[in-house]
Amino acid sequence: MKAVVLAAGKGRRLWPLTENRPKPMIPVANRPILEHVVDALDTAGVDEIVLVVGANRERVQSHFEDGQGWDLDISYVVQEQQLGTGHALLQAESKIGDSFVALNGDRIINAELIEDVWERHRDTNDPVVSVTRIDEPSSYGVVELDGEDVASIEEKPLPQLTKSDYINAGVYAFSPDIFAAIRRTDTHGEQALTDTLSELASERRIRAVQYRGMWLDVSEPWDLLDVNDSLIAYHGPSGDRPASVDESAVVAEAALTGDGVAVHPQAAVLRGVTLGDNVSIGPGAILENAVILSDVTIKAGSVVKDCIVGANTTLGPNTTVEGGDTDVVLADTVYHDVTFGGLIGDNVDGGGNVTVQPGTIVGNDATLGSGSLISGRIDERSHVTRG
Amino acid sequence: MCGISGYLGTEPAGRIVHQGLKNLEYRGYDSAGIALVGDTLTITKTEGEVDELPVPTQDDITCGIGHTRWSTHGEPTEANAHPHTDCTGEVAVVHNGIIENYDALKASLRDDHVFKSDTDTEVIPHLIETHLADDVDLLTAVQRTTDQLEGSYAIAVTAAGYDGIVVARQDSPLLLGHADDATFIGSDATAFIEHTDRVTYLESGDIAHITREGVEIYNHGERVERDVETLEWDADAAGKGGYDHYMLKEIHEQPRALRQAISGRVDELATSVDLDIDLPEEYLQSVEEIQIIACGTSYHAGLYAAELLEAHAEVRTSVHVASEYEFNGGRDPWRTLVIAITQSGETADTLSALRTATRAGARTLALTNTLGSTVTREADDTVFIRAGPEIGVAATKTFVSQVATATLFSVYLAQVRNGISTKTATRLLESVRDLPGAVQQILDQEDIIKETAREYADSDAFFYIGRAVGYPVALESALKLKEISYDHAEGFPAGELKHGPLALVTSETPVIALLTDETRPKKTLNNVKEVKSRGAPVIGIASDPETTGHVDTTFDIPDCGAMEPVVGNVALQLFAYYVADEKGRPIDKPRNLAKSVTVE
Repeated sequence: MKAVVLAAGKGRRLWPLTENRPKPMIPVANRPILEHVVDALDTAGVDEIVLVVGANRERVQSHFEDGQGWDLDISYVVQEQQLGTGHALLQAESKIGDSFVALNGDRIINAELIEDVWERHRDTNDPVVSVTRIDEPSSYGVVELDGEDVASIEEKPLPQLTKSDYINAGVYAFSPDIFAAIRRTDTHGEQALTDTLSELASERRIRAVQYRGMWLDVSEPWDLLDVNDSLIAYHGPSGDRPASVDESAVVAEAALTGDGVAVHPQAAVLRGVTLGDNVSIGPGAILENAVILSDVTIKAGSVVKDCIVGANTTLGPNTTVEGGDTDVVLADTVYHDVTFGGLIGDNVDGGGNVTVQPGTIVGNDATLGSGSLISGRIDERSHVTRG
Repeated sequence: MCGISGYLGTEPAGRIVHQGLKNLEYRGYDSAGIALVGDTLTITKTEGEVDELPVPTQDDITCGIGHTRWSTHGEPTEANAHPHTDCTGEVAVVHNGIIENYDALKASLRDDHVFKSDTDTEVIPHLIETHLADDVDLLTAVQRTTDQLEGSYAIAVTAAGYDGIVVARQDSPLLLGHADDATFIGSDATAFIEHTDRVTYLESGDIAHITREGVEIYNHGERVERDVETLEWDADAAGKGGYDHYMLKEIHEQPRALRQAISGRVDELATSVDLDIDLPEEYLQSVEEIQIIACGTSYHAGLYAAELLEAHAEVRTSVHVASEYEFNGGRDPWRTLVIAITQSGETADTLSALRTATRAGARTLALTNTLGSTVTREADDTVFIRAGPEIGVAATKTFVSQVATATLFSVYLAQVRNGISTKTATRLLESVRDLPGAVQQILDQEDIIKETAREYADSDAFFYIGRAVGYPVALESALKLKEISYDHAEGFPAGELKHGPLALVTSETPVIALLTDETRPKKTLNNVKEVKSRGAPVIGIASDPETTGHVDTTFDIPDCGAMEPVVGNVALQLFAYYVADEKGRPIDKPRNLAKSVTVE
């Protein structure tokens, strides 16, 4: 079985993490989101994967190489410009000769969904779309059903106009004639796969497969913390102890640690924390509900709660990210009462005694001066000094 | 240096041997050939790369040998391509190495045999032919033949109607791969890594008889047992993973390679290093001198290591180009540690120098990337750089891993010898730990480097300058450029420029200056001013904004202390890559070069 995975997505709401890596390469539970997807494909019996990659594709390619690590045949096609999911799928056309599964690389799903979608396609030879029921469907592609068939798909309708609680779960099965259908679809700048499917629904049967399993989407930064926490709970404690943890330090069972991690005396790495490779946690530092990317240094006495810290960042001694619930404004939308201590980008250089207020987002390569108080949105490469 | 591939099993041998050659192409790519064994031999050969060689279609044949060549004796022509045969056309031989007495052997055979090529190899099938005429089996004929050969060789031999392969090894590398119903032959495991990770390394003097019943190994006529080992690294080597070239893939693998190189070796809490070194501490304390022997990129890593060893371990250290090495000067061999640096562990010049040191009575330590390679068996002790397989001919990730591992060794040795303060050790180890993240930051600036490379690609020549550890990085970065872009590129100690090379500097020769920490940037800036006043454009590799005012373009290196020059090297790998790419060079297969050179 072949699968095409769309892994070129930018995920602008996850700025600044998506400056240096595509959204599917953001890690949760210490592995890129895309790796969780690849694992599900592997379990479902897929043996050949075509990854559609775009900006920063080196991150994807260097991680998955040719798939030998998963015993899969992984190859790449490049989508130079982001012109929609339909356009992304078209890039894989030359590698597809037969029916295939297609899915998004930035949503974590179970293998069963892939199996069900594939089975329905094999039985019917019709295009198959997976749907799942959620409470607030209006920020997704809402699927109106006619029995077990798709009647229409509407992207992000107004909440009062949603016709159904079902949304497109982003897993499909197609025969190669989908490519011609995508090309026939009128584009308004973007070639969205859902436009093609909506059009197609008036001509032929499109089957829906209902899904009730794990469906983890990372849209906003705080979703990363929740998804990380869910996955740690789902997979259970890893049981691995990092090579270098001082006897007096605590690493909770519900925490994950990468290779070459060092945890110094009296530090506490508590629940929901993921430490990437080559991370150093200084004496007495306390971390809870946090995603720490690789090569990060957190110095003595810091408190980091409900927070994401980008790769190769240094937080100086006694940095405080207090965490807790707050209101956050992101891309002109106000989100009320989200649990979000902050998002600190890659390569940030933090001094001592920096205080990060809840909801702060710090751009890549920023310098946070000693004693500074950080809040709101800090641009990349900026220097914040004590005011 | 050439590549040997072979197969005896149940699948079509032609396809498997052909793929094996393709995997080994980095060892040589100027001609190739395959012999398939049925009632007669089917031999296909070609001049040029393995891709030019048609994949054999005789799918019923399940035994074969193949070869991809890097010329030493004889031009890269179809006639000189292996396999070579005897007069009857029934014996086929592939060979990697050099037969030193081939002139004499050829003279003795010339009256009764017709030679079709200019190679040294061709004497082997004719010698086997003469022994087979005495009515002995192929194994015995090969044993008698190897008794007559002098030099280094790995050979694989088969014959028409003979459902088996005989291989022999003297110095040149050869190993066997074992699957449930098949045996593979390869110059290294890359040849068959997608089929099996269970291997047997043959030792010098071994002759292995491979038949459907299994493998029997002999050494000087005695039956011997050799261990079957499981390769530790996974098969991630084979493909390019979406990159245009192995070199670019390997450049991007460096953060991970570096994390592997240091993982589990540094105890930050105790500020100590564990490299699993068996050499006794008392001996290491008593060492008066370290000699480093290496070639090419490994030599540059050696120069870097020497600076660190002298500065921190307080031990006199000299670095020798392996092919020039001699043990003399009245040194005390019992107080001299010789460190051989070789990525492949098979570099003939380095192995030869290592043997010179061993004969003189010195103890030896190998720094290599390749498990089970010859150097690991010949040196007293080995430290692995754990970079993973490197296919691109131009070394990239193995250089940074060599330097990172050598830095760890310097700290280890310094601590054993009580020559280093905890403060300095912490500073060095933190710098090594910062390396992967800093290298990733350089990779994230790829577009800027690419643009600069395009801008300067048409220059007449490129000069790289640096001081202290910036000097080996200047040499290495210049080597990278000349290897893959064929441009004239030289590295100089920055202060040496005015003593001669400055005459070469014009407005068409960019000067690339290492201005990071640990390279005495303030002094080098004076040399930058010298070249700027001659109109040369200057690219600065710098971490301190103060220095960047004096240069035309800066590659920003993140602050990471003692390892900054290594990070600078990564930026210059990308620079070399994009200059070569702009010129459309065959980056993974530069003309006249091969990955590791197993001839002297």
